[in-house]
Amino acid sequence: MVHVLGVALPDLQLARLALTNFYGIGHKTAQRLCARLQIHDRCKIRDLTAQQITELASFLASPSTVSPLRRMPLASPTFQPPPASTPIEMLRKRVAELSKPTGAEPLRNLKIEAEGRRVVRENIAHQRMIGSYVGKRHAMGLPVRGQNTQSNAKTAKKLNRVNRFG
Amino acid sequence: MQPSLIVRSGRSAWKGPYFVAFPNLKQALEDNVPIRTQARSCTILPNFVGIRFMVHNGKDYLPVTVTQDMVGHKLGEFAHTKKRFIYRMTKNK
Repeated sequence: MVHVLGVALPDLQLARLALTNFYGIGHKTAQRLCARLQIHDRCKIRDLTAQQITELASFLASPSTVSPLRRMPLASPTFQPPPASTPIEMLRKRVAELSKPTGAEPLRNLKIEAEGRRVVRENIAHQRMIGSYVGKRHAMGLPVRGQNTQSNAKTAKKLNRVNRFG
Repeated sequence: MQPSLIVRSGRSAWKGPYFVAFPNLKQALEDNVPIRTQARSCTILPNFVGIRFMVHNGKDYLPVTVTQDMVGHKLGEFAHTKKRFIYRMTKNK
């Protein structure tokens, strides 16, 4: 059992499945995270090295401030190497230019655990404040999207409230 | 309005938000006269802020005053169509 940011990750589970134990990480995000940290598809939690776990923890602690990934471009099949007489500084400059990180980083806006729950609560509070139907249904503890309420509606009765906990 | 609101609404971004062009919009803002409308699916645009609407709920027209926070929502979200059930002993009330 490994604990990352207070969440238990079972040893025998695949890493990409165990990561979904975090509130706010589903299968898709877990796969992305694994790709980002170079954890392979069949890797289990017990196979992770200490360094990988530290990397994971530091990434999840603050996804917005993590340093962008370095790009490692491959040469195209039609690549013509520059002539041997090219000065080395120019080559280095070109390499640095090519390996600049791209702007897109979908994991940057990742919100997990307490932060994710706060976002949900804020959204409900917004609906409640402007007096919309969605906010009203949350305050009543009933389904929001037109489901039947004659019987059951158990999930909504459990979860839907202005100060949502789950 | 958040730029992602259109994206989240599930409507194609190239269409933009659905709205009804109210001809008396400017006058309504000046005179503070409510606009009576049945267009519940009309998106609230930033230039609706401050205008009073009377939105149809299927039975009668309910007053809705548009504030800044409502931008991006639909007019119908603020005119509730269902009455809460209240138990009454007699039917003759």
